[in-house]
Amino acid sequence: MNRADLAAMAQREQDRQDAFRCRVLCCASTPCLSSGGTAVREAIEKAIKDGDLDADVQVVSTGCMGPCSRGPVVTLKMRGAEDVVYEQVTPEAATRIIQEHVAKNEPVKEFVFPNDAPFFAKQHKVVLANSGQIDPESLEDYVARGGYTALAHVLREMKPDEVCESITRSGLRGRGGAGYPTGIKWDLVRKSQSDKKYVVANGDEGDPGAYMDRSLMESDPHRILEGMAIAGYAVGAEQGFIYVRGEYPVAAKRLERAIRAAERRGLLGSRMVDSQFNFRIDIRIGAGAFVCGEETALMASIMGKRGQPVPRPPYPSQSGLWGKPTLINNVETFGSIAPIILNKAEWFAAIGTDKSKGTKIFALAGDVNTTGLIEVPMGITLREIVYDIGGGIPDDRAFKAVQTGGPSGGCIPAQYLDTPVDYESLRALGSIVGSGGLIIMDERSCMVDVAKFFLDFCADESCGKCAPCRVGTVQIYKLLDKITRGAATLADLETLRELCVMVQETSLCGLGQNAPNPVVSTLRYFYDEYEAHIRKHKCAAGVCALNEKPMSPAVVAPPRPKRKVARLDELEAV
Amino acid sequence: MSDKASGKAPEMKHSPGQPAPTGKEPLPANKPGGASAPGAGGGAVPAKPEAPANPNDVSLTIDGRSVTVPKGTLVVDAAQKLGIEIPVFCSHPKLDPVACCRMCLVEISGPRGPMLQTACSVPVAPDMVVSTETEQVRAVQEANLAFMLLNHPLDCPICDKGGECPLQDQTMRYGPGISQLVEPKRHKNKQYLISDTIVLDQERCVVCWRCIRYLEEWEDKPQLGLFERGGATLIDIQPGKPVDAKTGGNIIDICPVGALTNRVARFAYRPWEIDRTPSICTHCSIGCNLRMDSRTHSVRRIVGRENMAVNDQWLCDKGRFAHGWINDAQRLQTPLVRKNGNLVAASWSEALEVVASKLQSIKKTSGAESIGAIGSAKLSNESNYLLQRLFRSTIGTNNIDHRAGADVAALPTGLPALVDLMKPQYGPDPKADVVMLVGVDPSEELPILDVHLKRAVRRGKTQLIIVHPRKVELTRYNGPYLGCRPGSEALLINGIAKLALKQVQNSHTAPADAAGFVADATKEALRTVCGVDVDEAKRAAELLAKAKNAVIIYGPMVAQGEQGKQVRNALTNLALITGHGSRLAYVGLEANSQGCRDVGLLPNALPGHAPLSDEKLRKTLEKTWGGPIATKAGKSYSQMLDGAGSDLKALYIMGANPASERPAWAAKLDALDFLVVQDLFLTETAQLADVVLPAVSWAEEDGTFTNLERRVQRAPKAVRSPDSKAASDWMILDHLAARLGAQWPFANVHGVTAEIAKVIPAYHGLTWDALGDQGVQWDAAAITRAKPTMQPVTQETISTDGYSVIGGTVLYDDGDLFAKTPLMQNMAFGAAVGINPADAAKMGIETGSLLKVSSAQGELILAARVDPSVRAGSVWIPESLPNAPVGALRNGAAVPHVEITPGPKSAA
Ligand SMILES: Cc1cc2nc3c(=O)[nH]c(=O)nc-3n(C[C@H](O)[C@H](O)[C@H](O)COP(=O)(O)O)c2cc1C
Ligand code: SF4
Ligand code: SF4
Ligand code: FES
Repeated sequence: MNRADLAAMAQREQDRQDAFRCRVLCCASTPCLSSGGTAVREAIEKAIKDGDLDADVQVVSTGCMGPCSRGPVVTLKMRGAEDVVYEQVTPEAATRIIQEHVAKNEPVKEFVFPNDAPFFAKQHKVVLANSGQIDPESLEDYVARGGYTALAHVLREMKPDEVCESITRSGLRGRGGAGYPTGIKWDLVRKSQSDKKYVVANGDEGDPGAYMDRSLMESDPHRILEGMAIAGYAVGAEQGFIYVRGEYPVAAKRLERAIRAAERRGLLGSRMVDSQFNFRIDIRIGAGAFVCGEETALMASIMGKRGQPVPRPPYPSQSGLWGKPTLINNVETFGSIAPIILNKAEWFAAIGTDKSKGTKIFALAGDVNTTGLIEVPMGITLREIVYDIGGGIPDDRAFKAVQTGGPSGGCIPAQYLDTPVDYESLRALGSIVGSGGLIIMDERSCMVDVAKFFLDFCADESCGKCAPCRVGTVQIYKLLDKITRGAATLADLETLRELCVMVQETSLCGLGQNAPNPVVSTLRYFYDEYEAHIRKHKCAAGVCALNEKPMSPAVVAPPRPKRKVARLDELEAV
Repeated sequence: MSDKASGKAPEMKHSPGQPAPTGKEPLPANKPGGASAPGAGGGAVPAKPEAPANPNDVSLTIDGRSVTVPKGTLVVDAAQKLGIEIPVFCSHPKLDPVACCRMCLVEISGPRGPMLQTACSVPVAPDMVVSTETEQVRAVQEANLAFMLLNHPLDCPICDKGGECPLQDQTMRYGPGISQLVEPKRHKNKQYLISDTIVLDQERCVVCWRCIRYLEEWEDKPQLGLFERGGATLIDIQPGKPVDAKTGGNIIDICPVGALTNRVARFAYRPWEIDRTPSICTHCSIGCNLRMDSRTHSVRRIVGRENMAVNDQWLCDKGRFAHGWINDAQRLQTPLVRKNGNLVAASWSEALEVVASKLQSIKKTSGAESIGAIGSAKLSNESNYLLQRLFRSTIGTNNIDHRAGADVAALPTGLPALVDLMKPQYGPDPKADVVMLVGVDPSEELPILDVHLKRAVRRGKTQLIIVHPRKVELTRYNGPYLGCRPGSEALLINGIAKLALKQVQNSHTAPADAAGFVADATKEALRTVCGVDVDEAKRAAELLAKAKNAVIIYGPMVAQGEQGKQVRNALTNLALITGHGSRLAYVGLEANSQGCRDVGLLPNALPGHAPLSDEKLRKTLEKTWGGPIATKAGKSYSQMLDGAGSDLKALYIMGANPASERPAWAAKLDALDFLVVQDLFLTETAQLADVVLPAVSWAEEDGTFTNLERRVQRAPKAVRSPDSKAASDWMILDHLAARLGAQWPFANVHGVTAEIAKVIPAYHGLTWDALGDQGVQWDAAAITRAKPTMQPVTQETISTDGYSVIGGTVLYDDGDLFAKTPLMQNMAFGAAVGINPADAAKMGIETGSLLKVSSAQGELILAARVDPSVRAGSVWIPESLPNAPVGALRNGAAVPHVEITPGPKSAA
């Protein structure tokens, strides 16, 4: 298949779709299916049949449309009209949508999610442009929306170093958490000399509550393949792996189908898109360990070893899979590539802030009116996300904090709501952008308990390789538990601080290094809450039981001289 | 005693994190708080070190001092060079870094300012600035020790490691002194057997992975692994699969805490109460360096000792654990003399008098030719040298030999050097690019060579070629494997030589007349007679032809008898054609096989591999020994035993037990006029003796041994029972010589060592003191050998009757030296016969069925052991198994043929 074939295929698919007067897009991703999406689709199909509209109307199962808490979501595309999004569609509503809107062009007002609602208006869909718009199992649908033209362009018009350079200019940074400049990483791998190189897409997504990557893999799998293939060409790799979390069977299945379809059409595999370039992609399924998202552990897992990190350097770009240079990026990072190539680096760089470019997908969760998957320009404020996109806190309760970056991140309290969301600003507040989990908490959350939740998660997910994380996270958890039981003393708080810093400073991989972050940041912003638990036996949110007393002082270890440690000073300065 | 101070080969990376087992290291002066150390606090900017002269070197600054080290050196080793100790747990100089304990974190300057990095995994970089004593580093060390101790049971008072435990030592030096963490500890398995000899205490374990890495990186047997995760992480074996790697015990030495302990030595010592004697192991011919820890005249445990030219720092499990025999209650304590048919206790003077007068009278009546002496390759150079001196000179006979002595077609020089095989162990730079093993199974016979070969294959890309009738363990590396019919090796090797000749045709290496000597070994013959795949033989020939430095090693299994000479000839041809003549080596399997031949315990050679006809040496010896030496070649080991009771009237046997090898020999020994046995135990042979002289072992008297690569090493006296009258070999022989009228000049055994060093040219200068703790390899050029030439090779016809017997030895053979350590009983091979599954199926036999193995010479009842490694049409009966004297079937044939029939019970 060459570029002309690709254009022809796109045209054919477009013509086919244009033949329908109306297209009904039903979200078939996990949240909507779990809120009754299947019944809705059945109702729609029945209504079409009953109304004898088969020839006129096409029903399509798509990926996620975004407002997941308002599912099932259905989008109606009438020829010559603007798209209409329906929310919380019941089977009855679905029947009415067909009978009234499709048949008589009378929208069913009470179910319409207005297009100008801030939920949509404040978003900027680049990576999610196809999500909810196409059938993820249809290569043609992807191609009809310009799919694989970026790859075709790159293979014909660009040299590998130009691709890397272009990505660097776009300012794209890794979406997996650490925010490392993607173009620079590509160029490192490109420059590494080796007979073999690999490209790995990280789709392990272990943060509790986050599902950006799952959604992207389920909704637009070809976008990831295209990004990987471009990367393969840019760095000189002929083999790619997508590492999919074991709990994501649908994502794995769609990716598998996508790979087969692309290979059949010569868009992947040997001499793809009529070029000299060969690129194969295989899927590897993870076994559900958070640490396997860490790049070195992930590669160990791909190689069939126990998924445990190894010290860096050497970095994967020098020595990764089977000792060969390996490019590893998050799936969302790969999802950003095609638009950058098609629209030029400058276009991407114009979105966002000075140092954080482009858009980022977040999974908005917790105490907000609309939870779901959102894609926003970098630099948007937290307030806009919480109050505009998320529609504020239910029942007008008070906003307390937002946890960004999941268990590796930190909390940001109300006074910083106007902070722009970008790598540097969040880091300055002691948190991180992370992979994209945003958990909104209102006054009913106890911050000690929140910290305990994340530490419980990390202690459980620690791989056990290095001493500080293996032992330290459990210890931090125990101290937090002690505080929530009411058994702690102020000395424990001191121990807790020190312990956190030591685990951060001495752990081998990012899991351990970041595991104490929720504690450190809650100590930073909600120290009085910790103190109240200990001194007054009081949990303002009413979450903690506090039904024990501290041990007698004799059992408590005596204090010991303090050491000067930079990080500790930093912490105490706040 | 600190063995550490002794010579260290350049491969040494850095000293292990643990002082033991190589002796306590002195603690460097500990600067309080690090305040006085230059560069402490990370603030001071040290002078930039000058660029090194050598482009492969890197200069960096550590604690304000500059140091230059080779590229790739780890920071921890660079610091060591300056005498700066960075504490470690997981890091070990012999293992790849994992950086999991985090104890070695130091501040290393980087683009983003000083960062904590693990010194054990980060290689040096130019202009790197490292600080090891800042407040931050101290705090981190304290914290890490606290983490390590948090779940540690602190049961030091009852822990074997206490007193030599890095965890204890580091807690003293770097620990916080106070713990703020008062939560209850985790409980796990405490006395958990991961093998018959190794006990794991999961509570003490600090999860440093050293044990896991040893088994993976050295044994290539991942038998230990991490299970669970997070705080629950523990070390364990796969369910139901104990650690059975032959060198598994090494994990005890390298465990930095008391998590892995030696079950044989458990609770038998406290490290501060033992005497430590640097010695060597005498279970096989590698001669691993070890340390014998003893107290109150008994050996309490054995640990590995570093010798980079021999065993790195490893021991096999037999060497480590099987020492129960040294202090066994059945050891002979007093001389015995036969009176009225019974052996009864006697005084030394009485016993020696009987021996002297009897030997003299037999010499008078039947001549010196009717007297013979058998020594042992398990005994020292000194013992064997004196035995041959006594009989050659004082008695006047050359009837002197040891088992696998003159009957074996050995080459005099042994392996070129073990270091040549070991060279690649830490880097991809093998000295031997191809190693061919003919009739040796290092995994069973020379376990440390096995470990070195695995390293050479996996890290150095050395290729292995294996010729063995059993598909031995090392065949798993997929080198050419030639499982020929037992006894057809000569033809096979000559056939490979012929195939190689084609490969090297255009080069000048092959001797001009080569073709004629290999003509008979056609492909057809390889297929039909040897039963091998010709393509595989071609692969072997190609490898050898292309190799720059191939080492060809053959063992006693293929070197016995007349056919053994043919194998040696064929190997000579092969080595000449492929250009590896100087690296063809015979390896004997016993501790002093090489030394025995070196000191002339042979009927047809004088000390130093000189022929009996060597007049010059004879003159020197006669002068030193004060009398003439017999000129006529003597009888070999088997000739003496076959002739016992007929042309041989008296035998003096030192440390050998021929009666256990063949019932026929036992009968002949019984028919002797006079039999003297000098040994440790009342062996089957000793029970037949007229006089039994109690001797002491290698642990109880100084002695030297020469290993398979000609390294002469010391084994000093470590213990001696005060209650026993047993005496050293040299002293017994010295007294006997005196009673026979000779005046020997020895004040102690070192005098004997000195005489050996004087009379044998190759041993010149190798006195006790000169050998030191690491031994000295004698120079192969010191012996004169005729230049090897192409040899004719004849292959005897191989009988196709019945089954051919595959011999060789196994490590856990259940001989006296093994059986006296009861904890190892389950590991013994047992009286068994290995049989191919196809043959077993044909006969309806399964493992455990009793089989009758019979030949014209006798029969044995043995349990079957169905084993796919055994070639079809053959059976495997290792030698030296008590209760399986395969010699009963042999009748001198190197490869006997036997009939197999279902045994008594299974037939019933
Ligand atoms: C404990 C841990 C878990 C991680 N999990 C993920 C993950 O689920 N997905 C991901 O893309 N990156 C994850 N990362 C980050 C990866 O190590 C790596 O930095 C990333 O995949 C690089 O891609 P990027 O440059 O596109 O961000 C994790 C890191 C750590 C330390
Ligand atoms: S920090 Fe935790 S997860 Fe990472 S290597 Fe150490 S134990 Fe494993
Ligand atoms: S048993 Fe010993 S060597 Fe093995 S991991 Fe534990 S502490 Fe380390
Ligand atoms: S010694 Fe470096 S991390 Fe263990």
